[in-house]
Formats: sequence, structure tokens, C-alpha cells
Amino acid sequence: MLKNLCQKMFGRSLWVYHANSGGCNGCDIEVLNVLTPYYDVERFGIKLVGSPRHADVMLCQGPAMRATARALRCAYEAMPAPKLVFAIGGCACGGGIWHDTYAVLGPVEKVIPVNFYIPGCPPRPEAIIYGVAMAVGLVDKKVAPVEFKQLELPIPRYHPADLRGRDEMVVYDKTEKL
Amino acid sequence: MSMLSKWKEAMVGLKAGCVTLDYPAHPRPVAENFRGRPIFDAQKCIGCAGCANNCPAREILVFDVCQEIRILQYLGRRCTYCGRCAEVCPEKAITMSHEFETATNKIGDLQQRLDLFMSTCQRCGRCFKESSPLEQLKLKGYRFDDLDNELWIFRSRAYLESEPVVDDIKIELD
Amino acid sequence: MIWMIAGGLANVGAVLLIAPLCEGVLRKVTARLQSRKGPPLWQPYFDLLKLLGKEDIESGESPALQRFVARLSLAAVLTVACLVPMGFAAPLNGAGDVILLIYLLTLCGICTLLGGLAAGSTYSLLGIGREMMTMIALEPLFAIAILVGAVHVRSFRLDAVLNGSVYATQGIPWSGLILLVVMVLSFQAFVQKLPFDISEAETEIMEGPLVEYSGPKLALFKYAQMARLVVHSGLFVALFAPWGSELAFPLGWLLFWAKVLALVLAVTAVAATHARYRIDQAVRYFAGLLAVAFAALALAGYGH
Repeated sequence: MLKNLCQKMFGRSLWVYHANSGGCNGCDIEVLNVLTPYYDVERFGIKLVGSPRHADVMLCQGPAMRATARALRCAYEAMPAPKLVFAIGGCACGGGIWHDTYAVLGPVEKVIPVNFYIPGCPPRPEAIIYGVAMAVGLVDKKVAPVEFKQLELPIPRYHPADLRGRDEMVVYDKTEKL
Repeated sequence: MSMLSKWKEAMVGLKAGCVTLDYPAHPRPVAENFRGRPIFDAQKCIGCAGCANNCPAREILVFDVCQEIRILQYLGRRCTYCGRCAEVCPEKAITMSHEFETATNKIGDLQQRLDLFMSTCQRCGRCFKESSPLEQLKLKGYRFDDLDNELWIFRSRAYLESEPVVDDIKIELD
Repeated sequence: MIWMIAGGLANVGAVLLIAPLCEGVLRKVTARLQSRKGPPLWQPYFDLLKLLGKEDIESGESPALQRFVARLSLAAVLTVACLVPMGFAAPLNGAGDVILLIYLLTLCGICTLLGGLAAGSTYSLLGIGREMMTMIALEPLFAIAILVGAVHVRSFRLDAVLNGSVYATQGIPWSGLILLVVMVLSFQAFVQKLPFDISEAETEIMEGPLVEYSGPKLALFKYAQMARLVVHSGLFVALFAPWGSELAFPLGWLLFWAKVLALVLAVTAVAATHARYRIDQAVRYFAGLLAVAFAALALAGYGH
């Protein structure tokens, strides 16, 4: 019974550890903005702590670099379960503009498993609060993948029956002149 | 006097009241020229891949299925919301919307994929040739970026390295 | 005997229930002074429950000592709570005297030192170095306050001393007033709030001696910190502001807690508007206060 209560309290009091593994500090500043009186995230019970052993959530930002990959992994393993990882900013979600440079290994999820992504460059403080509120369960997700397939061919002369499938490619298989 | 300055500090804080914005409850306005998530309008897109060539993060991948069908995929992971794709699009098919609430727990939720029909010459069936040689040089021809692994195909230095970067963590390099 | 057990349970229960509420009041009022909304009043309860539900990682140099010290810190503070008259006579009145009280107060500080040593990381050793320097300068102040009271009433019994005894002289109680000023100026350090929270939560830059604790052990330490605020405030009220403690049971008890809450609000107001002192600045400050306190002790010896 006490265990249930403790697990329910997890969402009400998240202690956050901030780990920047090589970013430009833009997302750092936005995260600090979130702790200021204007956006005040402490009303959700979130507190910034200085040691990963005290924290529940790790806010990662900046891509995983060669120099900091091991440190990031150690910080992740130092956190006690249950834990969440948020990847904040374009660099942590997908490697950022620097994804193909010599020092960057890739997004943070190459080194530690990520639970929530907050893309942006840098994300607005409201976007970060939205991500946190979504993790806690206050709001719903607002994005979904979009796929567009052209159902009819725009030039009516090409008859759909003339398209042949060959392996995965679709080829127009009519050679006579029109 | 230090006591007086502390008192004034407390008074300043109290007089300002409570300035916290009630954010998830009330929506927040954005400025007019705010660049949020880019929205790709497939009805207007002609598949020129100008956005893909201009994206600084190599976020838009292009794959030619056959001569007539081209797949454009916007990944949305490392997009910096710079707006160069919208600026360069000749048909104004990309708009930088005002959406910034794009947090998700699966990064695949941000992708937008367009399967487009590319028109060919009505007489011979081949793709259009550009008018001037300079324009012909800019054509990249068929493109085959790796859509499953979400990779822009180019050579990186990782191919040259044989020993692993760090030896206790398993990391895949492209 | 029954009175001892029942009173002890009442005291300990009251401290355990009210300590997180006082901490919640502190965080809320700090937030309001900083013009923001702040966490709800019950937030420290949520924090402690969440910490109890986390995994317990055995790390640091000596996990067995870590487990022991986590329990010892909360136990020491709760034992002090049994020695404080909270609206009625202290439960362990006949079993202890003022010397035991001074010893237990020092034990609360030593628990932090042991905790940092058991962890053994660089940051915690740094934190306990600062805590040691603070304790050397600070524990004598409370001891002198209690001793002055003892000198005035010529007894070491708890109910005699913890009853406003610093004012118990003929004529104007100079030593009592000097000590009141000294204690007010140094009270923030006893409860480890800004501007003097140099060792414990201070090193949010490094998190200090608590750096290697996680989960339930951290919950015990945090609980001990919250309880220290309440218990020290109770001691201050009993020594220096005991008016109204002679009332009958419900009223005296409520008046005691009202005074403690007022003291917590004063601590909050000071903590929210001050910056942290460096360790050398703090030690110099306490050394000055210690000199004044010794002067007050000398005055008390002469009967003033």
C-alpha cells in the first residue's frame, strides 16, 4: 500500500538533473528560464538537484560527443530507478546540425535510452513545460506522423493499369508513342 | 545599511505580486514571425528537392522510387526551425507554422513523408532538362538517401576509423 | 512512566507531522517573495514519499555506515524533540538534563560529518570540512545560552532551564538580552538555511555530504533536516520566549506551535533575501558572536 502511494507520488515531485554533453548552451538557458518566476516549473514540484543520485529525471541536451559519452553513461547509471530521460533540443534528439562532424557521435539515444523528446533549437520554455506536463500526464501529445500518398496520377493519360510492380519499384511499362 | 536593502528586496518581490504564467492551462501567444514546425503541403510540392539541398541539418531526405515517383521525407529530429526550406521553395509549399508544442515520446512522430508523382516530358517520357548548363550542374539526378535508417548518404570520416571510439559502450556509427 | 511514553509519542508524532509542513511553508513563502507561484504546501510530503519509493543504490565507501548514519540522524533529532517542552512538560524530564541536551544537539551535527565520511567522495569530504569548521564555531553558542540559563536558576534540570531562565535575574537581565540578540543573529546557521547553509544543502553546486545518498537513505536525511528546523525553533521558543506556556493543555500547545510557525516565517524571510556566506566570512562572523557570548556568560556569573 505504501509502495503504491510512493509510486503515485513519483509524478508529483520530479527532481531534475541537468546534463549538457556538448551542446551550445542555448537549450541550457531555456531550461534555466523554465526555473525562473515567469514560467516557474517548481509549481509542479520539480526541483533542480546537483547530484544524479538524488534525481529522477535527467535533462540531456547537446549531442553525444566522443569526449562525454562515457561521462553521460556514468551519470545515467548513477540515477536510481525509476528514472526518466528527456532529450531537449535538436542536438539531443537527432544530433543537431552537427550530426556529421568529427567530434559528435550522434543523438543522445546512442548512449542512453531516452523516454521523451522535446525538439527545437532551442525549444521555447513553453515547449519544455509542455513536454514535462506531457510526461507527468497533464496534457496529451499533439504531433503524429504525416504521410501523403498521391492517390491519382495528375496526368490522366497514364493509365494506372500500365504501372507494373517489379520488386519494390513501380515502373511505367508502356513503350509505344502516344 | 544591509538590513534596509534586504527589506527593500523583499518589498520589490512582494509588490510585483505573482507573475507566474498559468501555462499549460492557458495557451501562450506567439509573435507574428515566429518560426515553429514546418508544414509540408503536398498538393503544391513539385518535388524539386530544393528544400533538401538547402537544409543545414540535412533533415529532408529524398528517394527516387522510379522515374516518376519521388519520396520526400522530413524527419523533424534535428530541425533547427531556421526556415531556409520555406524561403527557397519555389511553390511556397512549406510554411513555418506557429506550432511549438512538439514534445513526444517517440521521435518518429515528427516525420512528414510525401510520395510525389514527378511529371515527365510528354513526348519522350524522360525528365525535363534544364535550360542552361549551370542549372544542369545543380541537378543532382536521382537521389537515393537511406529512408529506413534515416541517413543522408554521404561519406563520413567514420568509414576511415577501424577502432571503436569508447570501448565499454556499444555505439553504432554511420 | 505512562506519561513519559505518551508524551514522547505525542512530541515525536507532532514533530514528524509538522516538520514537512514547515518546510512547505518555507518554500511557498520563499517563492512568493520571489514573485512566483511556488510549490503546493504539501510538496515536502510528496518529496519524502517519492524518495522512499526509489531504488536504494549502495554506493560510496562504506554502505553499512551509510545505512547506520541515515537512521542515526533522524533518531538524534527525534530524541531532542522528546527533551523539548512543547506546550507541556518535556517527556524525558526526569531522565535527562541540560548536559544531555547539549550533547544530543552536537550529535545531530556529527551525523552529517559521519554521513559525508561514509560516502567518501571528494565533494562530500569538502562539504564535511566546511561543516566541521561551522560546528566548531557554532555549537558553543547554543551551549552558552543554555549554560547562562542554568547559571541563573542554579540547576541543570530541564524544566527549570528551558523556561525562560535566561531572564531570571533581579533587575534587568543583561546577559539574557545580549544572548537573545546573539541567538537571533545566528539562528539561521543552526537550522541550516541561507545565509549559513554552508555544508548541507548548500553545495547545490555539489550537493555536499549528501552526494552519494539515494532513495530511502536520502529521505531520512531530508526528514532529519526538516525536523531540525522545527526542533531548534522549539528550543529557541522554550529558552527565550516561554510566555504563555503555563496555560492549560490545548491552549498552551497551540500557542507553542503558533510561536514556532512565527519563527519559521522569520527564518524564511531572512533566507529568501540573503545570499550565502563563504566559509571564512561565516567563521569570522561566528567568532565575533562567540566573543560577545562569552562576555554575556561572564556577566551571568556576576549575577546580571
